[in-house]
Amino acid sequence: MNTYLIRLEIVRAVRDPRYLALAVATPIGFYLLFATLFGQGPNVPVNLMVAMAAYGAIWAVLSTTGPRIAQERELGWLTQLRAMPVPAWQVFTAKLLAGLASALPAILAVCLVAVLVKGVRLDPGQWAALVGAMWLGTAPFAALGVAVGYAVNADASYVVCYGLYMVTSAVGGLWIPPAQLPESFREVSGWLPSNRLAELGWQVAGPSPALWPSIGVLAAWTVGLGVIALLAYRRPRFAPRPAAAR
Amino acid sequence: MSISVCVASKSYGAVRAVQQVSLEVRRGETVALLGHNGAGKSTTIGMLLGLIAPDAGRVLVCGREPGAAVAEGRIAAMLQDTGMMPAVRVGELVELAGRCYPAPLPTARALDLAGLSPLAGRRVDRLSGGQAQRLRFAVAIVSDPDVLVLDEPTRALDVKARVEFWQAMRAYAATGRSVLFATHYLDEVDENAGRVVVMAGGRVVAAGTPAEIRRMAGGGTVVFTVSGPHGDDTGLAGLPGVTGVSVDGERVTLRTADCDATVRALAAGAVPDWRDLRVSPASLDESFLMLTREAEA
Repeated sequence: MNTYLIRLEIVRAVRDPRYLALAVATPIGFYLLFATLFGQGPNVPVNLMVAMAAYGAIWAVLSTTGPRIAQERELGWLTQLRAMPVPAWQVFTAKLLAGLASALPAILAVCLVAVLVKGVRLDPGQWAALVGAMWLGTAPFAALGVAVGYAVNADASYVVCYGLYMVTSAVGGLWIPPAQLPESFREVSGWLPSNRLAELGWQVAGPSPALWPSIGVLAAWTVGLGVIALLAYRRPRFAPRPAAAR
Repeated sequence: MSISVCVASKSYGAVRAVQQVSLEVRRGETVALLGHNGAGKSTTIGMLLGLIAPDAGRVLVCGREPGAAVAEGRIAAMLQDTGMMPAVRVGELVELAGRCYPAPLPTARALDLAGLSPLAGRRVDRLSGGQAQRLRFAVAIVSDPDVLVLDEPTRALDVKARVEFWQAMRAYAATGRSVLFATHYLDEVDENAGRVVVMAGGRVVAAGTPAEIRRMAGGGTVVFTVSGPHGDDTGLAGLPGVTGVSVDGERVTLRTADCDATVRALAAGAVPDWRDLRVSPASLDESFLMLTREAEA
């Protein structure tokens, strides 16, 4: 495996100021705002922390996959890679891993602010489980981003990813606690990966964690979106424009 | 044999991109692939790199299937319409490319050969056109390939960037590597290629040294001076081989498809009292146009 490719993919994400602004700084800002406004109940700071960690992680993963893959396709970098001895699965895997890696700072940053500013306290075991579960739980979004990146062009991919991000965040109960969502949203909510990603964190932080339902839903999304991503990726592309069209 | 293409064909639906193309590049040779857009150059190059599978025929690179030759780093290419990973530095990208191959050049050496050493720390998306093209060159040669393939490497470059590019290319070819480059700039062929393969309409229509290609197309111009007013253009136009006549005072210029026949007719007395005879072969431009026009007709 070409680890340097994964390393460069991650370096690129970290150097992108939009990544830091939207995936790391924005969730922290929202956390501080919401926790100050609605911080009355005993569980509010920790529940909001989980919601905002999910909110940041989802965008970290989507933004480092979808728009970037679409951009690289348009620039011709992916064609260049095909002319080099880099197996297709390595390109694909590097994208997924870099997407997942970019989620970790987003999760950790919100947790750190929650501990320092709002005094959130969990056992070391809970912290490890919460961060680990939420990190791995972003897998369906990495598959979604890869699928979008190979399916549509660069401009559209940013809009599509941002649109899906906003809708799944709102309906999935990341901004408003699921219990306070409108009835129609609540029926869909539990089937969304955004809701289930946060649910992992809420369960770990709660008194009697029940993780399997969320893991099941997230795994199903990962497999389904992974298949779509693979199909989008394998559409044949390298063919010079035929003579008649020039 | 560095490259051996044996009666290869490839069609896209009804469009026959490449038809029964045969082409060989020997070790250490620099060969130009010359043709208009749509002549089949890029398809031929795609087949050499295993990006395009021929419908028929056989393609070997260093005696291997193209895919294996690419994996072993024996062939590397600068393709048209390929971009580079944005937002990383020049040195990082060349390092990445090198790590894809079993026996790469040191990154610093590849940057140096491409004249990019001072730009190693610059971001890839902040290079000028000529610099970006030399980065593509560095990414290709970092694999230390036996065969280097360049698809219209100087397209859209200004004169200075073109000169710098060919300097880098010649320095690499001088280390004993084989180079195949596609182009439609004829001056580049004369200066850089030992042999030319002319393609038109998906076929190879001529192959040889630049001088041989000129000879193959035949023709040229015959210029001489006559004493006194000549006035009789019609007689000149009727000489063997002549395709065009222009008279400027005493100076007569004949464009001919067959210099030998025209000169023999002059020597036999077809025109009285001529002197200052000059015969020049067709330029490579004219030969190329003649050869491709014949093929496309």
